Amino acid sequence: MKAMREPTFLILTALAGGPRHGYGIVQEVQVVSGGRVGLLTGTLYTALDRLSAEGLVEPDHEEEVDGRMRRYYRLTAEGLAALTAETARLRQLTTAAEARLRAVRPRTA
Amino acid sequence: MTDKLARRYRRLLLAYPRAYRRSRGDELLGALLDAAAPGRTGPTVREAANLIRHGLRAHLGRPASRTVVVWAVLTVVISGVFSAAFATRAGWETARPLPRTAQARAMLAEILPGQDFTGIHDAPALFVIYGQPLSWNSARDLLFGDGGEYDQSGIAGVASAPTLPPQETVELVQHNLRAHGWTVYSLKVRDIYTCTEPCDPGGQYTTIVAQRGDTVFRMDVYSPQVPISTPISAGFVRATPFAVYPFGLTGGILGAVVAFLLFGWASRRTEGRHPARGVVKLLLSVTLFFWWAPTLYAVPWMARHYQDEPNPSWPPMWEWLGQPTFSLLFLIACGSALLGLALAALPRGDREPLSTAAV
Repeated sequence: MKAMREPTFLILTALAGGPRHGYGIVQEVQVVSGGRVGLLTGTLYTALDRLSAEGLVEPDHEEEVDGRMRRYYRLTAEGLAALTAETARLRQLTTAAEARLRAVRPRTA
Repeated sequence: MTDKLARRYRRLLLAYPRAYRRSRGDELLGALLDAAAPGRTGPTVREAANLIRHGLRAHLGRPASRTVVVWAVLTVVISGVFSAAFATRAGWETARPLPRTAQARAMLAEILPGQDFTGIHDAPALFVIYGQPLSWNSARDLLFGDGGEYDQSGIAGVASAPTLPPQETVELVQHNLRAHGWTVYSLKVRDIYTCTEPCDPGGQYTTIVAQRGDTVFRMDVYSPQVPISTPISAGFVRATPFAVYPFGLTGGILGAVVAFLLFGWASRRTEGRHPARGVVKLLLSVTLFFWWAPTLYAVPWMARHYQDEPNPSWPPMWEWLGQPTFSLLFLIACGSALLGLALAALPRGDREPLSTAAV
């Protein structure tokens, strides 16, 4: 399986908790990444277009708030499977790295 | 304040295709306004660059494709370069006509007094093929192998009985050129035959090149060992006119923009279920191969060929693209591109409008 890019992983993770609109995804990605990743709107929508074309996300519903149009997106079953697989892949890598770090620096790892 | 910010965001969203703006513009604008810090009246530079970049990407459609950007870049670059080359040819039309026979004789008499030059005739055009201006009659020569004969013309003559030995001729010519305001370039002395193994080079010849205004002078003086009936040849060509550069730049940018828009339109039209999707891809490959291959062949060849030339002007841009030597391949590629665009215009197989589909 091909490794997922970090922004893709973060967007799918942001949607794992339920449907979110564009800015909602940006905020959630910032939270999930500990403030390290700040998606710009252009980048987010290109990613959403790609993930929609790959069948990993889909539009959920629309609403208008203060005259601003918001379209919510949700994970598809394929998106959930892809996120689950990537999470398992990262966990396996993290576990392997931690085991080796413990062997080298038993106190700090 | 928000209105002003919204207006500025809307202006940036013009980077996206119209169909995309129609279906997603309000949503994008909403997200942009949501993300903007309170009190902001304009997008940041980073935001603006990001929207333009992703707007241009949206023009290409096929959001899941990792190669469409590469194909687009290949298409846009080569189209821009060919358009620039055509535009430079138009720019050459601003060059003054070549000196007439009488004027050329007078200039030669100034440069090498007392030397009789023969064979001087008025040039029929600035660029000729087999001595004739380009016409429909020369299409066969141009397309079928002899395109390399299309070249800049000049007005030149030869001397069969030099009045001075070669070395003295060269020194006198250099002196007279400088005295009459010409810029003289460094001399080139070359063997008649270039040998890879030890051999008789067959004598040498010296090339003098000089420029004054928009006129370039060139003289070849052969050593007595060379069995040639006309040991001196001399003539004038026009230097590259200044207009060639702005023409080339403008033409290149326009060609690249048009190619980008056409590529994006065809790419968006043929995504999803389109009856000619595969054929259009094949035609694009054919087009790019026949446009890029001669160029990739010609550029290093030209660089090698001209690096030792004492020519103050670069060769015309189209020669760097292998044109018109490979003009048949160029035309085949143009035909392939037009056919691809025509097939892309066929009605789509699906009625569901895609978010990025062209209309």
